[in-house]
Amino acid sequence: MSGAVEIPDLMIHAMSREIADQDTVLHGVSSPLPVLAMSAARKTHAPDMVYISGAEGVDPEIDRIYPSSFDHRLNRNAVAYFGLHEAFDLAQRGELDVMYLGAAQIDIHGNTNLSVIGSIDDPKVQLPGGAASAFLMPITPKVVIWITRHSARTFVEEVDFVTGQGYDHRSDEHMKNEIVIVSNLAVMNFRNPERKMQIQSYHPGQSVDQIRENTGFDIVMAADVGETPVPELGIIDLINSMDPGNVRQTEFH
Amino acid sequence: MKKVLCSLEDAAGLAADGDLVTLGGATFNRAPMAFVREIVRQGKTGLNLIDREPAIDFDLLIGAGCVGMVRTGMIAFEIFGMAPNFRRKSKSNDIIVKEGACQPIIAGFRAASMGLPSLPVKGMLGSDLLEIAEIVGGQKLFNDPFTGEEMIAVRAIEPDIAVIHAQKADEYGNVRIEGPIYEDVIKAKASKTVVVTAEEIIPNAEYRKSPELTTLPHFLVDAVVHTPNGAYPCSCCNYYDVDYDHIQEHIHAVVEDRFDAYLQQYVHEERVA
Repeated sequence: MSGAVEIPDLMIHAMSREIADQDTVLHGVSSPLPVLAMSAARKTHAPDMVYISGAEGVDPEIDRIYPSSFDHRLNRNAVAYFGLHEAFDLAQRGELDVMYLGAAQIDIHGNTNLSVIGSIDDPKVQLPGGAASAFLMPITPKVVIWITRHSARTFVEEVDFVTGQGYDHRSDEHMKNEIVIVSNLAVMNFRNPERKMQIQSYHPGQSVDQIRENTGFDIVMAADVGETPVPELGIIDLINSMDPGNVRQTEFH
Repeated sequence: MKKVLCSLEDAAGLAADGDLVTLGGATFNRAPMAFVREIVRQGKTGLNLIDREPAIDFDLLIGAGCVGMVRTGMIAFEIFGMAPNFRRKSKSNDIIVKEGACQPIIAGFRAASMGLPSLPVKGMLGSDLLEIAEIVGGQKLFNDPFTGEEMIAVRAIEPDIAVIHAQKADEYGNVRIEGPIYEDVIKAKASKTVVVTAEEIIPNAEYRKSPELTTLPHFLVDAVVHTPNGAYPCSCCNYYDVDYDHIQEHIHAVVEDRFDAYLQQYVHEERVA
């Protein structure tokens, strides 16, 4: 009964699958989906991951989430505090494996924009800012970008402003680092020689054609494209238990 | 040790119009909100605000007309969306917005805290953020003299004043922060003047029993104010949680064009909570 799975839960599951056991993983601000994805991963397939909270707790027990991803209750039963600046130092040492970031626009090369719509000198719309994007995007082995509104306005041929660096704005050294995109329609990556965005999997109920219609550039398909795996009921129960108030839906309004 | 305990009015008087200001905490957590409200009551103007990820603290100052320039990695109200006064006043060009990124802003504070003119950071290369003409915390490409690695150097950021809300302080300015510390120690070391507002004033003897619990020693701190509930409506770990209803009331007041009435009620008449 794949149709019964809600899109946020599908996305959280897909985002959690990007974590390997023993990875060191960080989430940032405004991040209910990453908090749930990291918690689900640690409680299922990645029990030995290192969980660094944007609220600064290490390996906390997430019993529920809150409107702020820095809410100090997200540090419940943590083993230590580790400052965000210390987590950034870890990234400079190459020891932060996975980071979750957002984007208001993303383009065919994986550049993200969280700064302005229009020009920087006279913006049509001022956006909140990229936070750690420009710092972490090129240097982190895996960046997972989650986008809850997949449309031709968010998936654009070229971003108005490069906040976070895609493959055409990277040094050779940083080309090996991976970007994975999880949207409300599909999972996408850049695992092809041209390093252009491709559909890796479409969510149940979506078609490749629908995804293409909602993408502002010619998006290709991975050779092994398939359907996004549906979370087991146990994982959905786990997500519901951590988010009984449905904070995760807020991003989809 | 000199006694530095003073009133909120006197502490806010240490901030001058046009100062470069940074505030402790992160988003809705342990921001020095009582101090921010006093700054509004004193009618300060042209403040230049800098921080990694502020929220309602900066937005209140922006909405009250106290601010000239804002430099942040991100300013938002978490899942509630954009910072409402920031959105309005950036659109109307009443404030100058100079976006930075978290680690470079922290590096600027760190450089100042270490007495260095600049500090390198990795990442950043290829981002258009490097093209923004910075007013503070400038960023320049350079090659590391040993490895040749291309990096950016961030110019030291030395705020005129840092204001930090803490759980405990004594009358001399020894401070204990409980729970996450964010960049508060770095900010205190980087700034010319440091004000600490504290939930509780505890005896100096407590510090001498357990000096390892001291987050800031007294010589870094210029003024201490006894300020129970001083982070409200933000959280203060071990004391109270975020009042998310009030956070939304702030947003509604801006969106519904009644922010002046909000300021009257919650700031000028101090009818908070």
